[in-house]
Amino acid sequence: MTENTQPKSNPAMVVGMIVIGAILMVAGMVAYKAHAFDAIEKPLAGMGIPLNFGKTISTIGVFLILFKVIEYFFFKPLHETIDHRTGELEKTFTEAETLRADMTQMKADYEKRLADTEASAREQIQAQIKEAQDLKKSLMADAQRQAEEYKQTAIAEIEAEKRKVLGDLRVEVTKLSLQATEKLLGANIDSDRNRKLIDEFLSTVEVKN
Amino acid sequence: MLSLFQNVQWLLAAGDSAHGGDHGGDAHAALAIEGLWFYIGLVVLISFGLMVMAKKEFGQRFFRTRISQYAEQLYIFIENLVVGIIGAHGRKYMPMIMTFWIVIFISNCVALFFPTSPTADLSFNLGMALIAVGYVQYEGMRANGVLGHFSHFAGPKMGLALIPINGMIFIIEIISETMKNVSLSLRLYGNIDGGHRAAVAMNELGEGANIPVGAFLLPVKLLTCVVQALIFCLLFCVYISLVTHHDHEEGHGHDHADDHGHDPVPATA
Repeated sequence: MTENTQPKSNPAMVVGMIVIGAILMVAGMVAYKAHAFDAIEKPLAGMGIPLNFGKTISTIGVFLILFKVIEYFFFKPLHETIDHRTGELEKTFTEAETLRADMTQMKADYEKRLADTEASAREQIQAQIKEAQDLKKSLMADAQRQAEEYKQTAIAEIEAEKRKVLGDLRVEVTKLSLQATEKLLGANIDSDRNRKLIDEFLSTVEVKN
Repeated sequence: MLSLFQNVQWLLAAGDSAHGGDHGGDAHAALAIEGLWFYIGLVVLISFGLMVMAKKEFGQRFFRTRISQYAEQLYIFIENLVVGIIGAHGRKYMPMIMTFWIVIFISNCVALFFPTSPTADLSFNLGMALIAVGYVQYEGMRANGVLGHFSHFAGPKMGLALIPINGMIFIIEIISETMKNVSLSLRLYGNIDGGHRAAVAMNELGEGANIPVGAFLLPVKLLTCVVQALIFCLLFCVYISLVTHHDHEEGHGHDHADDHGHDPVPATA
């Protein structure tokens, strides 16, 4: 703003200038009418210089008045209006600048919060993934252990069944052998003794197998 | 009615039959003081009419009418001129420069439509020049002191043996300062009055065919109106700048503060 760079005229000086101006205007007219400067003007006029000092003095008087009148009537209101507007614009620009700074700060805060949130989410996801992987490993280990147990149980059951079947088969073979021997040798043979012989025979066979 | 017409014709006439006629020679073309008052009154009337129209929007946030916008443009133009040549401390001379601009420009424009105008009168121009140069001397004395200001006219200090040279420089500088009045007033007078005379001479060429040949000079004369007002104000700024520049450099700290809106030395024009 340029308010303080303007002149500060005191009222007495303004009135003084206007009074002096008016006096000079009248003095110029009087000098013109009285041909007061003829001694200078006539030789100048002879040289083709149309000069009249009465009019010059009047002009100086007119300007002394006009300077102050135009200053107060026109210049100062115009200056104040432009100055006020410049002030308003400066204020608006300052406010806009402050708002922009605030907005930049808010944006930075938001971005920081967003980055923190993302980092936190990433950490959580990684933790969940790790947990899931651990769980998977644990479950797989359990499943493998159970499968192994089932397998061992099944093998044991199969072995037991196999043994049972073999026992049954031995009994059946013994029975069939006895029945066949009875039919071949007749009814006088002691069945207990024969059975013992057959068992001994079979055990030797079994050992060979 | 005839009497009124004759009076108006007398006021508008460029000739000075009542007073200047006694002087003879080219002085015959000068305005009588009544004619000068008429034209000064006309210029003041037009100027204040325009100022009143422009002032209607002062105090408002935006200027919507052309005349107010022109007033603002004029203010900005003069401010740029003053700050560019004198510096920020030159803003205090703005009311004076604006007054010169308004009066010279309106007077020059009056010369486009009337037989003569205040600026087509050498005595009027000399009055303006005396004010301008006188104010420059006053500012110089105020800035450097009376002795300091006049010692500048003697040039640089060159020792005792070269005092006669300083004396010669002093005389040349005093003549140069005096001639500023002559150059300021004659330039304006020559351009405006010369424009009139050229238009009249050209009109005489086409008089037989009823062609106003002088009217073709109107664009050039319009340009002259602006250029002459600008030159007068520009030279005034340059003269002020020359006498206050030293002060500005010495008191740079003060004037730097001045640039930022601190209280300057008040102008008294």
